[in-house]
Amino acid sequence: MHLALRLMLRDLRSGDILTLLLALIISVSTVTSISLFIDRLQLSFEQESANLLAADRLIRSDDTMPNNWQSKALDLSLQIAESTSFRTMIFAGDRLQLSQLSAVTDSYPLKGAYLVDNTLFGTGHPFTKPPEKGKIWLSSRLASLLAVSIGDEIDVGESKLTVAKYLVRDPGSSSSAFALSPRAVMNSADLAATQVVIPGSRVRYALLLAGKRSDLDNYEAWVTPQLNSGQRWQTPTQKGNRIGDTIAKAESFLLLTGTLAVILSGIAMALASARFVKRHLMQVAVLKTLGATPKTLINVFLIQFTVLFVIGALIGLAAGWIIQGIIASLLSDLMSTSLPAPSPSRLWLGIATGLISMLAFCVPLLQRLIKTSPMSVLHPKLKIEQNTLVIYSIGFIGMYGLMCLYTKGFLLPSIMTIAIFGIGLIVTLLGWTVFKLGRSLTSGATSGWQIGLASLYRRLVPNLFQLLVFTLIIMLGLILLGVKTSLVADWQNQLPADTPNHYLFNVQANQIDLINTATDQQGVIKSDWYPMVRGRIISANGQSIQTLYPEDKSEPEIYSRELNLTWAESLGKASQLVSGDLSAHGLSIEQRAAQETNLSLGDKLTLNIGGNMVTLPITSIRTVDWSSMQPNFFLILPKKALQDYPANFVSSLFINDANAQTFYKAMSQFPTVSILNVGDILKQVQTIIGQLSQAIELVLLCILIAGAIVLLASVRATLEERLEEGALLRVLGARKALVQQALFVEFGALGLFSGLIAAAGAEACLYGLQVFVFKSQAAWHPLLWGLGPLMGVSIISGIGLFASRTVLKVPPMHLLRDF
Amino acid sequence: MAVKTAIKVTNLTHTVTANTGDLTILKGINMEIKAGESVAIVGASGSGKSTLLGLLAGLDVNTSGEVVLYEHPFSSLDEEARALIRGQYVGFIFQSFHLLPSLQAVENVMLPAELKGDKNAQDKAEALLEKVGLSHRLTHYPNQLSGGEQQRVAIARAFASSPKILFADEPTGNLDEGNGKIIIEQLFELNQSQGTTLIMVTHDNELAKKCDRQLMMSAGQLVEKA
Repeated sequence: MHLALRLMLRDLRSGDILTLLLALIISVSTVTSISLFIDRLQLSFEQESANLLAADRLIRSDDTMPNNWQSKALDLSLQIAESTSFRTMIFAGDRLQLSQLSAVTDSYPLKGAYLVDNTLFGTGHPFTKPPEKGKIWLSSRLASLLAVSIGDEIDVGESKLTVAKYLVRDPGSSSSAFALSPRAVMNSADLAATQVVIPGSRVRYALLLAGKRSDLDNYEAWVTPQLNSGQRWQTPTQKGNRIGDTIAKAESFLLLTGTLAVILSGIAMALASARFVKRHLMQVAVLKTLGATPKTLINVFLIQFTVLFVIGALIGLAAGWIIQGIIASLLSDLMSTSLPAPSPSRLWLGIATGLISMLAFCVPLLQRLIKTSPMSVLHPKLKIEQNTLVIYSIGFIGMYGLMCLYTKGFLLPSIMTIAIFGIGLIVTLLGWTVFKLGRSLTSGATSGWQIGLASLYRRLVPNLFQLLVFTLIIMLGLILLGVKTSLVADWQNQLPADTPNHYLFNVQANQIDLINTATDQQGVIKSDWYPMVRGRIISANGQSIQTLYPEDKSEPEIYSRELNLTWAESLGKASQLVSGDLSAHGLSIEQRAAQETNLSLGDKLTLNIGGNMVTLPITSIRTVDWSSMQPNFFLILPKKALQDYPANFVSSLFINDANAQTFYKAMSQFPTVSILNVGDILKQVQTIIGQLSQAIELVLLCILIAGAIVLLASVRATLEERLEEGALLRVLGARKALVQQALFVEFGALGLFSGLIAAAGAEACLYGLQVFVFKSQAAWHPLLWGLGPLMGVSIISGIGLFASRTVLKVPPMHLLRDF
Repeated sequence: MAVKTAIKVTNLTHTVTANTGDLTILKGINMEIKAGESVAIVGASGSGKSTLLGLLAGLDVNTSGEVVLYEHPFSSLDEEARALIRGQYVGFIFQSFHLLPSLQAVENVMLPAELKGDKNAQDKAEALLEKVGLSHRLTHYPNQLSGGEQQRVAIARAFASSPKILFADEPTGNLDEGNGKIIIEQLFELNQSQGTTLIMVTHDNELAKKCDRQLMMSAGQLVEKA
């Protein structure tokens, strides 16, 4: 067996190799478990959101799509489905009604299910197949308007189709919440025979895709360059939709957790490798006197580190895999759906963490080991050339790189890096001042607390370093706790139990009072009524949209489609004025839309409303909470500009399951009013939020445990010197209580300072994270200021006193012999 | 046949940088030690004895002058080459033993032979430990051995690579009288049986007298003691 391995095996008994191995295992397993778990959650969110899109990915198009788009998808082993949506007249005897009709292929929906019922105005049950050939499903409203029921025949163009079910909701319809005509769905095999789709018809085509993520990514890369201005690639978690936003925030949190896990791993590796080097300096000097050449030593350590890396990485990966499995199984009872299997391709991150931390921390330290002068065996106090700052800088650059790799960006790592540097500076300045002050107050020390305080200054540099490590670990815990608390609270506030779950629209002004009476009788909570007039922006500041975005696929949403316009004297609950004056004679625009279009106060927009051109300046900008489930609008116009156009009204309301049937029945007396049930979408969002909250709590617990282990390691790192001093004090006649008190004061003071600085650092970081990463309101966290010092004092002095109990029990002679 | 020179030192000067400025520890030392000779270097604390020992063994590089060990001039060699020479010619015994705490007694003794790639390292180590009377302590760790026992393990380790020169830095400095005597007896016995050159730094006059020659270090200079 090679000398390096023999030495390593023997070294295992000393515990130093084990400490390094343990640090490596913690690094690899923490990052692996968190990244695997995040991956599974992301896949699960995508699946759940895919249910709302009816597919994993979707291409919407105003024209028919080239045939090779489908064949390419099939070549890539993707499942496909198609839908063709258009407005058409449906006839039943002498009744006729303009309807929103979708013709879908047999494989539709690829994800999720239809909600259908056999009872008129029923609440529906899931159904995963579309209507068969020759059949049609009508919404209850459409069936009422046409006065048909299940089994009756209706005419669509040249074809006769049989009503088979009442359609409550079809998957993928959430994006067309304000479709005005009542809906119907038929099989696309019947479409040609109807002859309703002719050249020039206004038809929306959709190609739905489902399959493996890598295949979908390949397809996206292939098809995106071919999309024209009337075609759009859609993903389930696209920004702007409410589930997408919620998931994006959760992903940011989990990414943050992963980033903090990387930092924690770095600290663990830095501590363990520093301990390894400290304990091996004399060994290397002795080996050199025995004839070991630098080349031999480099070989020995490189082989040892390589073997260590392989073993550590393998155990770490296995442990990470098991830990994420345990987290997932703990969550399985709480989740509505089972998590998808973890993908082994994510394991690279754990391996990269192990490798980079070994390279960043161990290799520079190895160089320091090799440079040890053999003369130090004769002069043990001989100073070894070292530049700790350079070594830790290299380590830190490695960690920064790893964080960037992990987050695929620079913002989060940069915030964390600035915070760590800031904390380093504060720790150094404050620690130095306070320790020095403690020293000057305790000259001629006789009591335990005086000795304890004096020790802080005596071991100034190691204590400052330890203070920094304690502070960082506590700060990481506090940041996660703070983010988790405010994120979960945010979500719960965002969707309270009585969040509106139905929209009423297509309501005429003269129907409002009647509906109010009907709904008031049922005690239904309702938002205000908003008038709605359709209009399209055709130019901005005199320049037509076509000129502004020629052939551009990514024109802002408000330019790309007809908008629902409204007037309002005051803003609803879900809106806040950012600038300007709502009462001025002009337009109020939603903030994000204004940013996307580079519009600001004073800019003029021209709208085509019912064939008339209306030009108005922007006089106010407001935020809109799109996830509030209240009727929300990109543009609010003055009443004068809209009141002469025919308007219909919209409102949102909350109906609980028990009242649903009665409500639908009551509303059947208003057959022209459209009811959109978004309860299941809402439930899905609430389920996802519930799952996320639980997942986040478990991940937090996991990282806090890892933090506690690293904290323990860092207390151990400087324990020997403290114990030696304690043993000496006892030899010199100090009572047990005095030694105990001195240790408690020293550890307690370190814990208190680190807790306080950590609370300040966490507060600053949370501000940065909330404002820049989570884009939410910054808030003060009084809990952290109590928890930080409490954690610091109790954990650090607890671990310190526990670890030093031998000093107090064993006869001093034994202790001195050991040192 | 003429006796071979083990070490030849010419105009050896060594200066170190201290807080107060440059400090010359060794000032123009000249000496020659024959193979098989035993030499004691005595002198007050801080007189530069250990530094001289380190330079003679090639543990450090002198500021000026030359140390030649078995015809190898150290000044022209880098650390890599000096280490090879140490492995080939030199054995060490230290005041504070410097056994590796994670290794058993036998493993500590095996180390120099293993570094040389000797396949019989274990047999050799066991035989040497038997010679120093520690065959019953082979698998003990340094912290399970007394000071005297640890130094005997260190002696066994020093002879494990069959060195031509043995450097000993205060070998009895950390031992009581009884143990010190045993150590010295074993050291000289092995030294003679293996024909090794012995260079020893010591405060102990009795020990110094056992050597063929005594050299006295004083204020960085070396004088032969009668």
